[in-house]
Amino acid sequence: MTDQVETTTDSHHDVDHDDHSHGGTSLYLMVFGALCVLTALSFLVGNSSLMTSNVKIGWALMMAISCGKALLVIMFFMHLLWESNWKWVITIPASMMSVFLVLMLVPDVGRRTRNYSEERWEHTAKPQQYDESIGSGTHGSGEADEKSDDSHDKPHHD
Amino acid sequence: MTEADTHHDHDDHHGHIQLEYEPCLPLRNGKVCLWLFLSTEIMFFAGLIGTYIVLRFGAPAGTWPTPHDVHVKEYIGAFNTFVLICSSVSIVLALEAAKANKVGLAKLWMVLTFVLGMLFLGVKAVEYNSKFEHGIYPAQPHSQIYDRADVYYVAAIRTRLMNLKSEDIPEDQTGRVDELLSLVRWTELEVARTNDEGPILALAYNIYPIHRYEDYAKKQIERRAQLVTKSLQRVSDDQQALDKKTGQLTAAEKQSLDLINLERTNLERCGKTLVQMKGGGKGLNDKEHWLKLPIYIPSGNMWASTYFLLTGFHAIHVVIGLIAFALLLPLKLGPAKAGLVENIGLYWHFVDLVWIFLFPLLYLF
Repeated sequence: MTDQVETTTDSHHDVDHDDHSHGGTSLYLMVFGALCVLTALSFLVGNSSLMTSNVKIGWALMMAISCGKALLVIMFFMHLLWESNWKWVITIPASMMSVFLVLMLVPDVGRRTRNYSEERWEHTAKPQQYDESIGSGTHGSGEADEKSDDSHDKPHHD
Repeated sequence: MTEADTHHDHDDHHGHIQLEYEPCLPLRNGKVCLWLFLSTEIMFFAGLIGTYIVLRFGAPAGTWPTPHDVHVKEYIGAFNTFVLICSSVSIVLALEAAKANKVGLAKLWMVLTFVLGMLFLGVKAVEYNSKFEHGIYPAQPHSQIYDRADVYYVAAIRTRLMNLKSEDIPEDQTGRVDELLSLVRWTELEVARTNDEGPILALAYNIYPIHRYEDYAKKQIERRAQLVTKSLQRVSDDQQALDKKTGQLTAAEKQSLDLINLERTNLERCGKTLVQMKGGGKGLNDKEHWLKLPIYIPSGNMWASTYFLLTGFHAIHVVIGLIAFALLLPLKLGPAKAGLVENIGLYWHFVDLVWIFLFPLLYLF
C-alpha cells in the first residue's frame, strides 16, 4: 500500500521518479574510487611518523579522513545528497547526540586517572617510563659491587 | 470562494467523502521508518564508539596496548574495509538495476554483496581466532591478561605451572615446567630482595613480548642472566668449600650442603631456561602452545573488552544484514521491490559506515 503513494500524488513526490537522473553507475564507481583512495590515505597516516611525533595532528587527520569517507557513503550511497530537507531532521539530532554522548563521558571516564588514590595506582597499568634505572636496590644484601640507585620511580600521575 | 464551494459539495455528498491524503514527508513510510531506525543505531554505536574513544585517549600515555602488542594486523583491517566498501557499491548497483527492471542483474549484485559480507565475517573469524590463540579473551575466566607486572602476576604464573604439573603431561614438558618454576622462584626472590619489578618485567617479556618496554626488558633479561651466573658461581664455590673440608660435616653444614645443592639445581635450571629464551622474537606462549601462561599487557583487559564489544556488535549487525539479503534473494527484484532493496541497502550502508569509523580507531591508533 505504502509503495503506491508516489503514483497517486505524483505532483508532490518527484523524488523517486527523478532517481534515474541522480546517481548512475559511473558516479558510484567514482565514489568507490575516492573511498579506496581515502582508505589508503588513512593507512599511510596511521603508519607514518605523525602518529608518534605530532600525535594530535595525526589523530585529527585520521578523524578527518574517516569523516570524509563517512560523508561520501552517506551523501552518495545512501542518496542523502539528493533528498529534501527531511534529511536534516534525521542527521542533525543524531550528530548532536553522537558528539554530546562522547563529550559527556570525558569528565568521568576520560579523566578517571586524575582522582586515583595511591592504592588504586597499585593495581592500574602504570604510566611509567621504562628508563635506564635498572638495578635499584634499597634492600640489597647480595652483590656488593652493585650500585644502589635511588631513582626508583614512583608512579607519577598528572 | 472555490474552497467554500468544495466544502459545500462535500457536505452534500455524505456517502462518498473525498479525503485528500497529504503525507507530511515526501517519501515512503518504509523509508521513513528505516531512517528513524538508523538514527537510533547511530546513537547506539555512538555510545559504544564514544566509550572506546574516551577510554583509550583517557588512558595515561604509554599504558594502552599498540595494535602490534595485541596481534591486530592493520592490513587485515584495511582488507576488511575494502571488502565492505565493495559490498556497499554492489548493493547500490543492485538498487539501480532493480529500479531499471534488470531483475537478473539486480540479483547478481545482491549475491555479490552477500558473498562479500560472508568474506568479511570469515576474515573476522580468523582475526578472533588469532586473538584467542594468544590468550586474549574478552572476559574471565578465559582471559589471562594482567594489567600489572607485580607479585600477583608472578603468583598467577606459579599457579598455572603448578596446575600443569598436576595434569597428565608428557615427560619433556614436565622438565620444562620444573625449569620455569625455578625461574619463577628466582624472580620472586629477586623481587623480594630489590623491591624492583624489573625481574618480573623480564619474565613477562619472555612469556609475551610487548614492543613498548622491549629495550628495558631486554636489559633486564641480560642483567638476570648475569645475576644467575654470578649466583651459580657463588653457590659452586660454597659447595666446593664444603666438599674440600676433610673430616665429618656437622649437621648444620650438612643441611647447608643440601640447601646449596637445591639452590644449584634451581639456578642451573634457570640458566638453561634463559639460554633457551635468548632467541627473542616470539614469546614462550607462542613457542610452546601448551604452556598458556598468564600474560602482561598494560590496560589489556580494557582493550580486549572494548575491542570484542565493538567488533562483536558490528559483526552481529553484519549477520542481520546477511539474513536480510538471504530473505530477499528468492524474490523478483524489479521496480516493485525496489523500495525493499533500497531499505536493505540503507541498512547495509550504515553497517559499512560504522566499520569506516571502527577501522582507524581499532587498527590505526
